[in-house]
Amino acid sequence: MFSVTNWRRWARVLPGAAMALAGCNLIEFSPNDHRVPEEFANLTEKNLAKLKARPLAAGDTLRFIFTGDSQQFYDEAEALVASVNQQPGIAFLAVAGDISDFGLAREMQWVDEKLRRLKVPYVTVIGNHDLVGNGRPTYRHIFGAFNYSFVYGDTKFTMVDTNGREYNFDGTAPDMDWLRPQLRNLDGARRQVVICHVPPNNDDFDPALRAPYVQAMREAPGLVFQMNGHNHSYRIGQPFNDGVTYVNSDAFSERHYMVITVWGDKQFRIKRVAF
Amino acid sequence: MKNLLFPALLLASVSSLAATPPDTTATKPAAGTRPERRWYRPKHLALQTGGGLGMVAAGAGYEFAKNRLETDILIGYVPKYYAGSTLSLASLKFMYSPFRLPLGEKFQLVPLTVGGYFSYTHGTLNDELKGQYSADYYWFSTDTRYGPLLGSRVTFLAPAIAATGQPRKISFYYELGSNDLYVASYLTNRNGGLGVGQLLTLALGLKADF
Repeated sequence: MFSVTNWRRWARVLPGAAMALAGCNLIEFSPNDHRVPEEFANLTEKNLAKLKARPLAAGDTLRFIFTGDSQQFYDEAEALVASVNQQPGIAFLAVAGDISDFGLAREMQWVDEKLRRLKVPYVTVIGNHDLVGNGRPTYRHIFGAFNYSFVYGDTKFTMVDTNGREYNFDGTAPDMDWLRPQLRNLDGARRQVVICHVPPNNDDFDPALRAPYVQAMREAPGLVFQMNGHNHSYRIGQPFNDGVTYVNSDAFSERHYMVITVWGDKQFRIKRVAF
Repeated sequence: MKNLLFPALLLASVSSLAATPPDTTATKPAAGTRPERRWYRPKHLALQTGGGLGMVAAGAGYEFAKNRLETDILIGYVPKYYAGSTLSLASLKFMYSPFRLPLGEKFQLVPLTVGGYFSYTHGTLNDELKGQYSADYYWFSTDTRYGPLLGSRVTFLAPAIAATGQPRKISFYYELGSNDLYVASYLTNRNGGLGVGQLLTLALGLKADF
């Protein structure tokens, strides 16, 4: 039997043991749990802080890497990082969603373990695969907000969750009430870029929000282009013939990425690079 | 903090219970004779943490083929704090332990247990509403997982129950495991994109005869 002093000793030891167990990533409660070491939490905030620490002077040309759909392509992620690290004058890399394939914490951690070896910070927007199962709280814990914006140099970037099918087309994604004021106000920037995962001309975009979204893009002041992932195929065009350019990213699996150069009011050049 | 304490306290309380003779409700047979075990009565109780089967998972198990084959049925729990929603898991484990090595009179080492599991998770947030996706939109199941297990255990041979002469064992075990989705991720990256160590999960648990 336990004596009182024994209990006291246990009471001191047990919380420590419990902390050690709960903090141990190896003791996985469920693949759907999102316990990760602190270094893998709040990555968006951390990456934006890194970006802020390397500012771009006003008037300078902006150059960044655009890709998407890293899901399950870890070999390719290594090759991509090695290639991007050779590119001069890059500010950051943007991943247009589907970081994970199954919405699991480990996958998001595995992708970060590759992309943190980039010489530049990276930013992400949420994709439909990141929302599967308990992907919503998992992405929120590991990366952060589904909708957010930031200004870098002369450009405002708005990242928006457009994965309507994952919400069963309930009218909440994209969140137009959040998006419209974001697009109207450039927060002091000269031009803007919108990055999402599912493009509006795709079956997985909420059909009821397609027209309002396309109209909001058309009316957005200084919009250089709208960028998205999801299709795993490189395409640049104006699908709605309304003067708005839509840029569709390569997936990691296609072993290509884009070097995007932006200057002036809304001039841009896109170079596709094989890796 | 409460969430962290819970599994450890539960583990501690069950292990202390297991150390004292269990209170059986079955009718007691005459001293010295073995009670007839009904076929459905489990051979042991089990309690574990991790392995993807719950922060806490408890259940019972059966043993066959001179206790070398085991089947455990576990009900697991993951609090909302760790997964974003409260998860309940029902799991079925199959294990084969070919060897047993004596460690003195009171202990036994089971150096190798190999096996596999199926689990079903209830309570995930976005696990497909009717008509949400076309057939095969996602090739994998959100809620059903399966995977391999590999572990070992140390068994304490407790004194037999005086009233019945029934021998008792209390075992501490660990299991390294993985699941179908982690293994699939590994298999699609044959150039070292993922290491085997990145796929592993660990379970720690106790089993007590009853």
